[in-house]
Amino acid sequence: MIDLVTSGALAGLSLDPSTLPQQLVNGLLIGAIYALIALGYTMVYGVLRLINFAHGEVFMLGAYAALFVSYGFGYTADAGDIAGGTWTLLAIMLLVSMISCAIVGAVIEFFAYRPMRNQTRIAALITAIGVSLLIQYGGQLFLPAQPPPSISEKVLPADIRGSYDFNLISPDPQLESDLAAAKTAADAADSELEKMLTDTGQREFDLEPEHPLRAAKFETIGEVRSLSAEIENSSVSVTVPRGQAVMFGTVVLLMTLLWWLVMHTRTGRAMRAASHDFDSASLMGINVNRVVTITFIIGSALAGAGAMMNATFLRTPLTPFFGFMPGVKAFVAAVLGGIGNIPGAVLGGFVMGLAETLVVWAGYGQYKDAVAFVILIVILLFRPGGLLGSSKVEKV
Amino acid sequence: MKFRNTISVLSCAATAALFLGATLGCGDKTTSNGTNGGNGGGNGDAPVAVNRPAPLGEGNSVATGDDVIKIGLIASQNGNLRPWGVDSVDGAMLAVKQINDAGGIDGKQIKLVVGDSNSKPEEGKNAAEKLVSEGVIGLIGEVSSGITAQLADVAKERGVPLVAVGATKPDITTKGSNIFRVCYTDDLQGPVMAVFAFRDLGLTKVAIVTDVKQPYSTGLSETFRTKFEALGGEIVDVQNYETGSTAFNGQIANLKAKNPQGLFLSGYFNEVGPFVYQARDQGIGKEVYVFGGDGWDSAEILNSGGDAILGGYFCNHYNENDDRPEVASFLAAWKAEHGGVPGTTMGALGYDATALMIDAIGRAAELNSASVTEALEATVDFKGVSGDITLLDQNGNPPKRAIVVELTNDGQSFTKAYEASEIIGE
Amino acid sequence: MNPAVEIQKPSLLKFWGSRVISAIAAIAFCAGIQSLGGPLADNEFLYRIIVLSGLYVTLAVSLNLINGITGQFSIGHAAFYQVGAYTAGYLTVRMFSTQQIGEVPWLILMCLVGAAAAAITGLIVGLPSLRLKGDYLAIVTLGFGEIIRIIAINIDEVGGAYGLSIVPKIQSPWLIWALAILCIAVCRNLLKTAHGLPFLAVREDEVASSAMGVSTTKIKVTAFVIGSSFAGAAGALLAHYEAFITPDMFKMEVSFIVLTMVVIGGTGSITGSTVAALALFLLPEWLRGLKEANGDALVVSAPQLLGATLAIIAYIALARRVRDHYHGKPIQKAGFQFGVAAASLVLFFLFKAVFAQIGGLAGHEGWEINSLRMAIFAAVLIVIMLLRPQGVFGHHEFSWAWLKSLFVKKKQEAS
Repeated sequence: MIDLVTSGALAGLSLDPSTLPQQLVNGLLIGAIYALIALGYTMVYGVLRLINFAHGEVFMLGAYAALFVSYGFGYTADAGDIAGGTWTLLAIMLLVSMISCAIVGAVIEFFAYRPMRNQTRIAALITAIGVSLLIQYGGQLFLPAQPPPSISEKVLPADIRGSYDFNLISPDPQLESDLAAAKTAADAADSELEKMLTDTGQREFDLEPEHPLRAAKFETIGEVRSLSAEIENSSVSVTVPRGQAVMFGTVVLLMTLLWWLVMHTRTGRAMRAASHDFDSASLMGINVNRVVTITFIIGSALAGAGAMMNATFLRTPLTPFFGFMPGVKAFVAAVLGGIGNIPGAVLGGFVMGLAETLVVWAGYGQYKDAVAFVILIVILLFRPGGLLGSSKVEKV
Repeated sequence: MKFRNTISVLSCAATAALFLGATLGCGDKTTSNGTNGGNGGGNGDAPVAVNRPAPLGEGNSVATGDDVIKIGLIASQNGNLRPWGVDSVDGAMLAVKQINDAGGIDGKQIKLVVGDSNSKPEEGKNAAEKLVSEGVIGLIGEVSSGITAQLADVAKERGVPLVAVGATKPDITTKGSNIFRVCYTDDLQGPVMAVFAFRDLGLTKVAIVTDVKQPYSTGLSETFRTKFEALGGEIVDVQNYETGSTAFNGQIANLKAKNPQGLFLSGYFNEVGPFVYQARDQGIGKEVYVFGGDGWDSAEILNSGGDAILGGYFCNHYNENDDRPEVASFLAAWKAEHGGVPGTTMGALGYDATALMIDAIGRAAELNSASVTEALEATVDFKGVSGDITLLDQNGNPPKRAIVVELTNDGQSFTKAYEASEIIGE
Repeated sequence: MNPAVEIQKPSLLKFWGSRVISAIAAIAFCAGIQSLGGPLADNEFLYRIIVLSGLYVTLAVSLNLINGITGQFSIGHAAFYQVGAYTAGYLTVRMFSTQQIGEVPWLILMCLVGAAAAAITGLIVGLPSLRLKGDYLAIVTLGFGEIIRIIAINIDEVGGAYGLSIVPKIQSPWLIWALAILCIAVCRNLLKTAHGLPFLAVREDEVASSAMGVSTTKIKVTAFVIGSSFAGAAGALLAHYEAFITPDMFKMEVSFIVLTMVVIGGTGSITGSTVAALALFLLPEWLRGLKEANGDALVVSAPQLLGATLAIIAYIALARRVRDHYHGKPIQKAGFQFGVAAASLVLFFLFKAVFAQIGGLAGHEGWEINSLRMAIFAAVLIVIMLLRPQGVFGHHEFSWAWLKSLFVKKKQEAS
């Protein structure tokens, strides 16, 4: 570990090279979700030149849809003993989230944005802010949020728990077997203590610290700690929680589907045409209303997928306000990549994820949110149209 | 020419402003109050007699003809603090219902007026001003320290007593001599967890995880750190996040590299649950204990944290399994009135704060704010659900029990109770 | 189209007369606000709301200068507000006790300091605006606001997340409204004189205006600096009025609300910004105080809520139809609009009665107005935008002449 500066303005800076590979992977994992939500912003913007501020709220509703599906299958908070979930259940939750978000997106477009189509963009923006506030505060009346519920962990199949470990510098195998043995010993000591406590009806912390069973527990657990510390210090590894790996895979799959849809289907061609020039597209016989609806459906469905996976694999408790911050971050990602540009949104999402993780890596977790904006400003100063966007000269 | 027009009007307005400043300046209401917010304050000291400033206003009184006594409650009925806010309202309503069913005070019914703070300090202040204008004799609330600080200003200026529900930030009660609370402060909670971690769990190397957006969390981290280091422990790492974060991979990877024996998470359960879940998934094993403050208090932490959070410890105000008779009767009354059990401790604390206020109104010599303040200050051993409350000569901070509970499959299991004197006296 | 065209050379008496009368009216108004404190001593809440609404008027009118008049899409106004509040608050905490200055002169000084600090910040934000357009500028200003807020959270010197207590508390209601009036006066005079023309030109067509010799850079930066300095001064007043500031008081939502005020009032219309600021600030506070006949907080039942929602949807659809597809005389159109409103009201009672028949809904305990007020606020925004996207006042300003022309024109067309 290198402590570059220990005092002054950079106090807290710690750049530990052994965790860098892990942090880069983390950045990609987080960035994938940003990218997924950012796609919704960027597609809508591409076609309508509208910042859909309610996108974060659509995301929030998607998470609630997943929650209700899990409730429907009996995975409520007080379900007690219930069999673990299956991959099918996860797939159903994902689909229901995507479908309900798609419906919500289309409804919002029809009722709130379509009437504003020919109005000034700022008026449309205020409508979007209004819709966003209405869903947040209206959702508060109808959605369970007290306390914020989260999807039961039991919906996860057993083989999705734990993590994939990749060793870049492997630890001594001897140490690993020692650790396994120490863990068994610690578990044994713990259960022995538990058994004694249940038998006698005593409480652990009423016992003297010198009590033999307590002392044994401390000693064995201390052994586990020192061995795992030794392993940690002598190796460099990358840990990917399985849930997040599944999440990443799904995001990549969805993005591939989107790419195929946009580049290789008639609908995609219509979307590209509308995005290039809305009015000309409509003159060329493209049903732009249909294109706009489809854009909202696709963008919202992607947000729904992101929401379901966020709520399930990252276990975020749901409140009606839960979509706001991810929404803003994803919007920043979309602008970063060049708003209206689909590959740009993906790139922007990954850049944001990496930047945030690297800031945390350097020991400045408190500035994580600020850094997203700093990077945005810096990049926009040099590339005013975003990373992949073009800054067109305004036509007279 | 036209430029001169602008200038002339501008200068005219400026002169007018200055002129007004000279004439009306003396009429300005100016006050000096409060202490500077900032770091968590001292720790481990015995209660020192602080000269708390007297309230400025005269407060409200109940007219002799009135058959209701109004008390005000500020709670977050909207916004991200809603879960706690609604629980505090339910608890307060229960206390009011009980006294009214029992015939009220001297034949007068108690009327609870609720104001929404929308989880924002300035709106809390608006709501408090409004309630005081409506003639409430005393104020109750809030669950959050940031909002309560604003309420304390109103209470001090208007002379209406304030009983804070769940504000644990130490310096709030120093704002005025009519400001009280029914909960313990972070000066107790942080040290309790430090003593518990160091003595009872035998940890010497601990990492702190703070939610920098929450004054509660930053203050608690500070008091924990001070005590833990004073005991001889070492803080090996400090990681921060912001309320609303959902992925903590970065912080967890940093923590993992430092090999702490335990993690002190001072934030609220919304983030703590997912944090611990993700930490375990990323290979921080069960041998690394997790523990925190009363921000963990919600049944939902078991859901969002899942198996990962089981075996975690935190400091709470009361426990449903506590053998005090007040707890059992409170839970029975709650079940009859609202069904189930309170989602958070704020149900019990809201009840306690309201019951204490009602009790003080009953003891007050006259039905006005000043008398109620005196009665509150004179409280000795009020039997609250969360413990006995004594406010006499305590600067508004009752010395209370802190209870360490362990999260198990069945909820919170009572682990160890610390009296304030045990911790503060050291 | 262009208000500057209307300027005629007035007689000297009329010229000075109107200005002196305006100034006297302004002074009288400020004095009135200040003296309201006496009669409203029992209702400090109402007084406080009246006073604080002045701050929102300043914020909305100053953002209007950037957004509406110059056409630069800024959604980070809370940042300037915050910079002013923190600079002034911090200086007061640090320096006030060592200075031999009275409280009100000090407050005025702090306003200037806050304004200067915010102006410098505005300059820093304004410079990138030279390169950025539209939404890119918007997101930069938004991001800038967030950066400022997060920095404030992380500086213990200014209280961190907990906030900063400001001692002494200097409450000066008249100064708050004097600032609002000053802000209105500056913006109004800017618009009414030749200095305002380049601002409008930049809004209408940047390329054309630069071809005509307008220094668009200078204009944009000037707009940013003037707008942000007013927000900074408002922040300084807020800090001293509340005597306590936290970073949370300057969240993104504040910027959004102020932006909403500008757009709802009508982009570019100072009158609109003022009226909308007052209305939108007072609406949630007014809702908070609604009572049932017996003095309990108003409870909205489920049938009422559903009925109102459906009635509002019906109203919007009908009113838009009348607006877009009916080409009769204005007076008849107004009559139709009135009829639509009345019909919607009838619909509301009808729906309510129908829903009340459904057992599950009638049994619902309903919601207190407190939990509904923000949702109502949002619904009002959407309804106004759908029915009147150009804002309530459009580009119009209030003036006696405008009022008269409106009246006279209607009369002519009616006859």
